[in-house]
Amino acid sequence: MTISLVPLLVCGLLVAAGVTLLLERSLVRVLAGVILLGNGVNLLIVTVGGDAGAPPLLGRSDPDRMADPLPQAMVLTAIVITLAVTAFLLAMVHRAWQLRDSDEVSDDTEDRWVRLRARRGQLGERVRARQAEYDLLVAEQRAELHVEPTKGERLAHRRTDRRKLKHRQREARRQMRRAIRAERERQALALDPELEGDD
Amino acid sequence: MEPLLILHAAAALLAPWLVRRYGRGAMLLLAAAPAAGFCYALVGPEPSARPWAPALGLTLAFRADEVSLLMMALVTGIGALVMVYSARYFSSGEPGLGRYGAIMMAFAGSMLGLVTADDLLLLYVFWELTTVFSYLLIGHHPENRASRRAGMQALVVTTLGGLAMLAGFVMIGLAAGTYRISAILADPPQVAPVALVLVLVGALAKSAIFPFSAWLPAAMAAPTPVSAYLHAAAMVKAGVYLLALLGPAFGDVTAWRAVAVPLGALTMLLGGWRALRETDLKKLLAYGTVGQLGFLIVLFGAGTGATALAGVAMLLAHALFKASLFLVVGVVDRAAGRRDLRGLSGLGRSMRWTCGAAVLAGASMAGLPPLAGFVAKEAALGALLDDPLVLGAVVAGSALTVAYTLRFLWGAFAAKPGRRATRVKRPAALMVAPAALLAGLGLVLAPLAGWYETAMAVYSDAFPDQGHATHLAIWSGVGPPLLLSLLSLAVGGVLFLAREPVARLGAALHVTDTGVAFWHALRRTDLGALQVTGVIQRGSVPDYVLLTLVSLAGVGTLALSYGPPLSLDTPVTWWQRGEQPLLAVLIAVAVVLALRARSYLLLALSVGMTGYGVALLFLAHGSPDLALTQFLAETLSLVMFVLVLRRVSNPPVEARLPLALRLGIGLVIGAVVVVAGVLAMDARQTQPVGDLMAGAAERAGAGNIVSALLLDIRAWDTMGESTVIVVLTLGVTSLIYLRRTSYAIGRRPSRPRPGRPWLASALPEGDRALAFEVAARLTFHTVLVLSVFLLFVGHSQVGGGFSGGIVAGLAITVRYLAGGRDELARAVPMHPGVLLGVGLTLSIGTALVGLAFGGEALSMLAADVTVPLVGTVHLSTVLLFDLGIYLTVVGMVQDVLRALGAELDEQIEAS
Amino acid sequence: MEALIPLPVLLPLLAAGVKLAIGARLRRVQGAISITTLAVNLVVSAVLLVQVDTHGPMVARIGGWEAPIGITLVADRLSALMLVTSSAVTLCVMVYSVVSAYDRQEDVAPMAIFHPAFLVMLAGVANAFLTGDLFNLFVAFEMLLSGSYVLLTFGGTPSRIRAGATYTVMALMSSMLFLIALAVVYAATGTLSMAQLAERFADLTPQVKLLVELLLLLAFAIKAAIFPVSGWLPDSYPTAPAPATAVFAGLLTKVGVYAIFRLEALLFPGGPVGTLLLWAALATLVLGVLGAVAQADIKRMLSFTLVSHVGYMVMGVGLATVAGLAGAVFYAVHHMTVQTSLFLVAGLIERRTGTTSINRLGGMMRGAPLLSLLFFVPAMNLSGIPPMSGFLGKLALVQAGLEVGGVLPVALVTAALVTSLLTLYAVAKVWGKAFWRETRADSEGRQDAGEEQVERSAVTIPGLYGPTAALVVLGLAYTVLAGPLSSLTERAAGELLARQPYITAVLGPR
Repeated sequence: MTISLVPLLVCGLLVAAGVTLLLERSLVRVLAGVILLGNGVNLLIVTVGGDAGAPPLLGRSDPDRMADPLPQAMVLTAIVITLAVTAFLLAMVHRAWQLRDSDEVSDDTEDRWVRLRARRGQLGERVRARQAEYDLLVAEQRAELHVEPTKGERLAHRRTDRRKLKHRQREARRQMRRAIRAERERQALALDPELEGDD
Repeated sequence: MEPLLILHAAAALLAPWLVRRYGRGAMLLLAAAPAAGFCYALVGPEPSARPWAPALGLTLAFRADEVSLLMMALVTGIGALVMVYSARYFSSGEPGLGRYGAIMMAFAGSMLGLVTADDLLLLYVFWELTTVFSYLLIGHHPENRASRRAGMQALVVTTLGGLAMLAGFVMIGLAAGTYRISAILADPPQVAPVALVLVLVGALAKSAIFPFSAWLPAAMAAPTPVSAYLHAAAMVKAGVYLLALLGPAFGDVTAWRAVAVPLGALTMLLGGWRALRETDLKKLLAYGTVGQLGFLIVLFGAGTGATALAGVAMLLAHALFKASLFLVVGVVDRAAGRRDLRGLSGLGRSMRWTCGAAVLAGASMAGLPPLAGFVAKEAALGALLDDPLVLGAVVAGSALTVAYTLRFLWGAFAAKPGRRATRVKRPAALMVAPAALLAGLGLVLAPLAGWYETAMAVYSDAFPDQGHATHLAIWSGVGPPLLLSLLSLAVGGVLFLAREPVARLGAALHVTDTGVAFWHALRRTDLGALQVTGVIQRGSVPDYVLLTLVSLAGVGTLALSYGPPLSLDTPVTWWQRGEQPLLAVLIAVAVVLALRARSYLLLALSVGMTGYGVALLFLAHGSPDLALTQFLAETLSLVMFVLVLRRVSNPPVEARLPLALRLGIGLVIGAVVVVAGVLAMDARQTQPVGDLMAGAAERAGAGNIVSALLLDIRAWDTMGESTVIVVLTLGVTSLIYLRRTSYAIGRRPSRPRPGRPWLASALPEGDRALAFEVAARLTFHTVLVLSVFLLFVGHSQVGGGFSGGIVAGLAITVRYLAGGRDELARAVPMHPGVLLGVGLTLSIGTALVGLAFGGEALSMLAADVTVPLVGTVHLSTVLLFDLGIYLTVVGMVQDVLRALGAELDEQIEAS
Repeated sequence: MEALIPLPVLLPLLAAGVKLAIGARLRRVQGAISITTLAVNLVVSAVLLVQVDTHGPMVARIGGWEAPIGITLVADRLSALMLVTSSAVTLCVMVYSVVSAYDRQEDVAPMAIFHPAFLVMLAGVANAFLTGDLFNLFVAFEMLLSGSYVLLTFGGTPSRIRAGATYTVMALMSSMLFLIALAVVYAATGTLSMAQLAERFADLTPQVKLLVELLLLLAFAIKAAIFPVSGWLPDSYPTAPAPATAVFAGLLTKVGVYAIFRLEALLFPGGPVGTLLLWAALATLVLGVLGAVAQADIKRMLSFTLVSHVGYMVMGVGLATVAGLAGAVFYAVHHMTVQTSLFLVAGLIERRTGTTSINRLGGMMRGAPLLSLLFFVPAMNLSGIPPMSGFLGKLALVQAGLEVGGVLPVALVTAALVTSLLTLYAVAKVWGKAFWRETRADSEGRQDAGEEQVERSAVTIPGLYGPTAALVVLGLAYTVLAGPLSSLTERAAGELLARQPYITAVLGPR
């Protein structure tokens, strides 16, 4: 066999152009890319399948100089299939346009949904961490308020302590709730309730 | 053993029907299945084995040694009693009772299989089945969120262990060359310690040993009979049983002891300690069970004959007293309507029988003589005397046991000061009797300890390491074990008396719970899954295409960098034909146009131009057939483009990637493809099959080799491709017509015409191009004749069914373009799909005729027929096949024109 | 007996042609024709399997042309087994779609569309299993793809158009790759017959060999949905009509897997790609199942498990031992059946409640006990709960992996077990929410605002449960038949790796 560069370069060019169009979002351009790519690959099959030669017609051409007919048969099949696919994709272009006035290939919504839920999950973890911090704070405060030693004072203090504690707790809880609400507002859906902390 | 398992399966299948018919009384009937198993265990079954899937190493082998028999008796006996108990525990109208009965039976059968399996894989099969059925039983009240969560936790934790165990089993099986347990026990293989650790993970997870213990208390969401059976007597014992089973083979391996004993001891302490501050009686017992399971694991994990002997004694005693106590809780729960010890008072007086049973069982649990629990504990302490650390842990654990037993009995039955006696309903005898029976057995069996020891001697003697000798006896004199026992009783008593501070201390020391850790881990898994999926599953087609292209580029680079550097032996030229460079320039121009085109129409045109250029390159290469087909196909697709694009405006859709980057990727891919082609050409060493085709075509009697390939030699491909045409045409119809049934071409309500006009055009007067219409009309038949000519000459000349079909299609197209949809209806007055169907049927029919008469599918039959006047005519089924293709292609053009042409016309007019 | 070989391809095509020719008339007969055809197909395939198991590979020379010249269809144990399984599965699905009148509801376009598209797709699948010619494999792929394009975009609803675009573009990518590979193959060897290729590849330089192998592998990997080219599948399958999704899930990816079996065992035995396959299997298993865990919709969850479990089969191929390949074949048979039945169940759920989102479903165990059972059993089977076939296949693979040993195989065994656990978790989540949990919606899901809800019928058709249950039972039957089936898969794998029986059958003794 002889490697002839020009047809090969044409193949490369067609493939490159096909790929370039294939990476677009418009279905028409993608289809154009597919056709270009298909033309390039068809040419490749014929080119690398054998040397150029005479048409493979018995009785007309010298059998030794004939081009290899097998790649031709393969490409013929491929061309017809591409034609049918073109028709189908054009119908799809039309339908897409009919539905949305655009032939853009849109992203999958469910996958975007998963990304959103991942984000929500992160926020939820943060809320939970803050809740834990708050619990710790309350516990510390409670411990702090219980240091008064003398017995007489203790009884007297206990009531005020308790009031003070309650007040601070309420305040902290209010802050907490506000924080949680702010976080939750950014969450469209509640977290998976089956998976919340052990109760 | 199989008949017994089948009996259980049958009982499971019948259960829903029985329950529907007999209500809760059906449970008594169902109890017959495990009862039969119990009788069978007493009779003494024979080991058996039959192959199941030898290629996978699976054998239906069952064993019947001492430990198996003990377990078998326990699971069947307690199973039967629990079913009897269930007949009164549930109210008659309980929803899902049929399901409950079915799953309980299925579980009992699996448990029976588990304890008798003599094949590691078979054991695993039953092991996982118990997991699944326990999952379903825990979720008996699925509307309760705690139930669902508990079910999930039990399922995930035990399956995690199970899968680890499976890996361990396979490693043992590969090392031993067999999965038969008896063979492995007879000749223990040398296995990697990791295999044993994996097996232990499974056993520990199933038996709720730290760090897998949290699922068991959570599982108390299940109905009480389930807890008594699964979570006290049967399923949780599976891990212990596995240790007992494999102990003689692997008990003396360091890894075995190093994992099992510390974890068992730790669990014993943690479980007992946790039970001291639990107020729900059922949970209290559950934590107690966790502790006791730890104790059992210590005994079997120590892997000596003596500890194993104590272990089997404890196994029996524990099953009896713990099942009894759970049943008691159920009785109390049903009678008093609650089971929190803070809400119960004075039940000892109102429920004497129940209280009696509970005290008896509790005494056994605490290890008081003369009960089975005492015998076992004495033996255990005796066997562990050599190991002070473990001994200390066990004594401490026993003290905790004593304490929580007292707390349980006090909490359930004592009259609490300052609290009125709880009002109770009289419990059903069928509920109390099983509990009392089990508790009583603890008393009856204790004096038989000596006999039991003899019976178990075969098993305990199998251990290579006998350990510190010990005996099962109701009284073995005053020695260290008894003193330690007394010590634990005393400490336990003190702990009970100081129960309030102890509970507070426990709560204060409480750091975390493995259950919390479990849910945390699960949440992290969920979150991680979401994040990972969010990253890799972009949902965007260009991304997927890009990924594929990058893979392709990677594949190319990898292959090129593999092996010796590139060197070409094949001669290289710039071109072989003078036309090639010229055409290359043409194509390059068209490609640049296509890349720069903003309007879709220009894009389509320039793409079409590259197609024509490629067709000419084909011609230059020496493939006129290809060139013709490519030319025709390109034309038809241009027509289709135009038909659709008149509806589609081209909005400025921005690509996600900049042009330069896309072009770069494109060039890389183009380079990969070209280099791959060059390499491949260089690698050719043999004569291509294509060279044989000339001879083959001659044999086929065709002049055109390509057409011989398409219609005869490789007609199978052609057949496939014609089906592709048919189906995708259907797809076009489906997408354009959607769900409308009407397919008639809507005629424009045009002015009445006199007669039947020659030109059927419905275009308004102004739009008509009369000359075009007439020309189209006049050339139509000529072109059709041309297409038929192409069809016929394809055999020896350039042409064939495809090109003929497309030419005919183009003739129809021209008529449609000239005269609109009415002309189309006139041109092909045929129901759509018929041409496609007939064409396809012809092709397939040819194949089948060839199969029927020629011996092979698509064998072409030929005959020379003499026709008067015409002479000899060569007839062949090839022609029939080609005609099928022709019709298919015409049908496709017809349908596409109807859909993309006529139907869109109507839509445009309607809008 | 050789005459039987082309029938699984020809009969569905003939039925499709006849249906089109008779047109919209005789709509009632359409279902009967399809079902009869597929039943005959099942019988033919079963006879073929018995024949090839006793006599070795059988070859049909299409048109009477000998191997390197013409196209041959080859039935060996592997292809016959795949054929039998796919016939059984598709028969059930066809009955399902006829009973559910999907074919009529969805087939109101001017031409009979559902049945012809479905039948051509099945013919393509059968052709792909049987063909002994690499280019004909391409044509077979195009046949099944064209059928699937049409089924996937049925009705042309927005989500189906979007899914159809994803699917079509990726399938076209795969076709183009296949064509490039074909160009390279023919340029390098000058032949298309797989038997002859098996001989000629041996003489190629390692560079070109690897190039060809990787190109083909990439093309097939897209079809089989192996990471990193698996993303399209979960985005496209769930939107198709239930019977179509079921068949897609059961068969189409398996065709890709089957092609990889042939490629790796027949054309390129040994070689450096095994390691690459193991890595791909690892990624596919783990990433796929993580995707399944992340989903909140039953159909999507199932699609991700579909991707993930393809990893099991790839793992078996990558191990390149008889045991590994046998495990992979066993798993493929299991997976075809179980995945299809699960998608059919999902279709039933959707039909009953109008949704498959687990956040909206609830209380199905109370409301639909039979449906719950039909979900639970194959779901557990999918998760590899013993003694069901999923476990048996997994067991075979775990054994094969540990037998081979080494870091990567052991890592794969670990991944296989973790995948099993996570599959169980994903399935249990669905069970807990859709079946156990009682919700306000309680089995009476609300009609979605989306325009593409399947016509929901308050009265479920009992006939729909029949074919679904039949498939579920078929999945369970593999447990009972585990002995013969596993030894058959082992023989099939042995035959496949031995190569010579196949080559000799096609090219004749040398």
